Amino acid sequence: MSRIEEADVVIIGGGITAAMVAEKLTEEHDVDVIIVEAGTHSSPFDDRFAHRQRYMDYGENPWPDDHIEDQYADGIMSRSMVVGGQALHWGGTTPRYTPEDFRHHSMFGIHQDWPVDYETMDPYYQEAEERIGIAGEQGPEPLDPRGAPYPMPAVPLSWTLERLREWVNEAGVPTWSNPVSKNTVPWRGRNVCQRCDTCNVCPTGAKYTPEFSFQQMLAAGRIRLHPRTIIRRLELADGSDQIHAAVGRSYDDPETDVIYRAKTFVLAAGYTWSPHLLLLSAQGRFSEGLANSSGCVGRYMAGHRNVGAMVDLPMRLLPGMFFGHSLISKYFQRPTAAGGPGLPNGFMRHDFRVWESTAARGPRLRDEAGSLLLGDDLMADWRTRTATGTARLRGYYDIIPDRDSRVSLHASQRNRFGDPLPQLDFRDAPVSRDLRGATEASISALFERLAAAAGGTVTRTFADETQDHPGGGCRMGDDASDSVVDSWGRTHDHDNLFVVGAPTMVSGGCNNGTLTFSALSLRSAEEIGREYPAHATP
Amino acid sequence: MTPDRRAFLKASAAAAAAAAAAAACAPRAGTGADSANGLRDMDPELLGAVAEVVLPSELVAAERNAAVRDFRAWAGAYEAVPELDHGYGTAEIRYGPPDPVPAWQAQLQGLELESQKRHRLAFGALEVDAREALLRRHLRDAGPTVPNPLQARHVAIALLSRWLSTADATDRCYGVRITPQTCRGIESSPREPESIG
Repeated sequence: MSRIEEADVVIIGGGITAAMVAEKLTEEHDVDVIIVEAGTHSSPFDDRFAHRQRYMDYGENPWPDDHIEDQYADGIMSRSMVVGGQALHWGGTTPRYTPEDFRHHSMFGIHQDWPVDYETMDPYYQEAEERIGIAGEQGPEPLDPRGAPYPMPAVPLSWTLERLREWVNEAGVPTWSNPVSKNTVPWRGRNVCQRCDTCNVCPTGAKYTPEFSFQQMLAAGRIRLHPRTIIRRLELADGSDQIHAAVGRSYDDPETDVIYRAKTFVLAAGYTWSPHLLLLSAQGRFSEGLANSSGCVGRYMAGHRNVGAMVDLPMRLLPGMFFGHSLISKYFQRPTAAGGPGLPNGFMRHDFRVWESTAARGPRLRDEAGSLLLGDDLMADWRTRTATGTARLRGYYDIIPDRDSRVSLHASQRNRFGDPLPQLDFRDAPVSRDLRGATEASISALFERLAAAAGGTVTRTFADETQDHPGGGCRMGDDASDSVVDSWGRTHDHDNLFVVGAPTMVSGGCNNGTLTFSALSLRSAEEIGREYPAHATP
Repeated sequence: MTPDRRAFLKASAAAAAAAAAAAACAPRAGTGADSANGLRDMDPELLGAVAEVVLPSELVAAERNAAVRDFRAWAGAYEAVPELDHGYGTAEIRYGPPDPVPAWQAQLQGLELESQKRHRLAFGALEVDAREALLRRHLRDAGPTVPNPLQARHVAIALLSRWLSTADATDRCYGVRITPQTCRGIESSPREPESIG
């Protein structure tokens, strides 16, 4: 049994990169687009307040049914598989990468340069910021280059964050309001941020989540969206390297193959499931997976680790004003830019963020003597311990991915259809392994220096063991022998197959990657659109 | 006020839907009328007698009663073993605990029985000091940290923990209206919160 669906473009995956590609394509071109998403529709917007309340009251998942029980992977960062993808849960932090992120080889003699540079990406960054709706503060020009202003004024610093900014700026680290996908003015039909401070489920819709884009496109009849349908393999046309079909199953009709035929196929399923589908689709002369003549599919998985700290400060702070907002600095990401700190330690770079915190200053039931505190005693103890405050600091540092940093097919774990599930193994390249200790020590020393500048103390330091904000697995490059896609996301091996977003990243930078892979997706959409007629100018 | 600031505020004010949303996001005041339908029967008078011991005395009777109502509504609306948040970075799907209310009900009954056996008085009829002494015997294993109320092993700690998680408790601690996790708008964020004194 099979059912056939046809379109000009079939996009596999329903997260933020799919939203970016579909939005740009259908705005600018006469093109018939189907989006196929394994997960279901996210819960209705009108339910968000109720879900938020239960999340606050009981810790309940505020996005019910946002994953599929038998679609998981060892080593994966998030189980989200739903219309809207992982960006339903995201905190909305959207810094750009810096010019250095694209030029590791030419600037530091390590790894390789991306096939695009920061100047090339600047207009796509701007477009992503416009489409998503980014509120940001221009940092000092040498540290924070931009071709145009942010679309929206920055989220204002809370009284508490302003105190923290005074502290770190006086200690010599310039910081500014973190750019975020939270509206400070009405934007594309969405509300202004109300500082509800549960940004993983924004009840007002001020934070961008991709289902807004899908709903708008669906309402305008610009896309077809097929949820609860999992693509199991891509198939080649007979005697050709072109993709002929994407074959899947609907969870609502699991005995019937759904065969998608299109002129262009776009793989927008994220850093795990995009390379995974290519590996699952091994066939013919591509016996190690489609798009994999280089052997790079599933390799060079990239991310970054962080070092964090809690700092006791001898100043009055009022935590709770906006836990979800923070200060950012690119001072240590751009060490050789004008005014930067220099590069004393290999290629070491890291971002820098500052948050308000209640760490170790919440109410407690026992004092140092072990006495049980109730009622007035508890309140008096709490008040004494909150007379001064705590800041949370964090730095994500650069990691060069190893070739064997991988997504592969799991030897034994399979889903209900019998398809092998992915397995993720992140691994630093030797150059990063060698520098890890010095990097983490250097960031810790920075935190100590900052604490001392205010007469405070670092009470706790912690370092990641896992790699955050992952990408890679289908990295881009000009050389088809050591990359999977070109700079536009077109696979070297199949000219009608694109991989967009996080999987195409060459390295993981040292800050949150969503804006970068959204911008890359828009650049891919520009290339895909060249195959389709532009809308007639009214 | 600068023109930019004025324009920003004007634009913010234009977001009528946002304002409506903010109104719907009032400081925590129980889990709503629907929860009353599922209210489990924890004796409000016994809970009130416990509250007088574990909550600070600066709460007047009406405020303590409100805390008890909120606790009962919150406990009553709990659905056992819920799927917990698995935000970014958390691949494991975790579930919350079973319903704690039956154990809490039994503890309240135990306090009442023990009070009658020790003092020949109902727990609520004891002086506060006597209630506290009795309660402290039941809380020998408590602490040092305040647990999530769902994880509290004793109803007294659950009631206290629930109140401590409110915006009111934070504001009383700091003496200013921070009102955390309420939808407060961003325009007031840079200002020092007003005193509650």
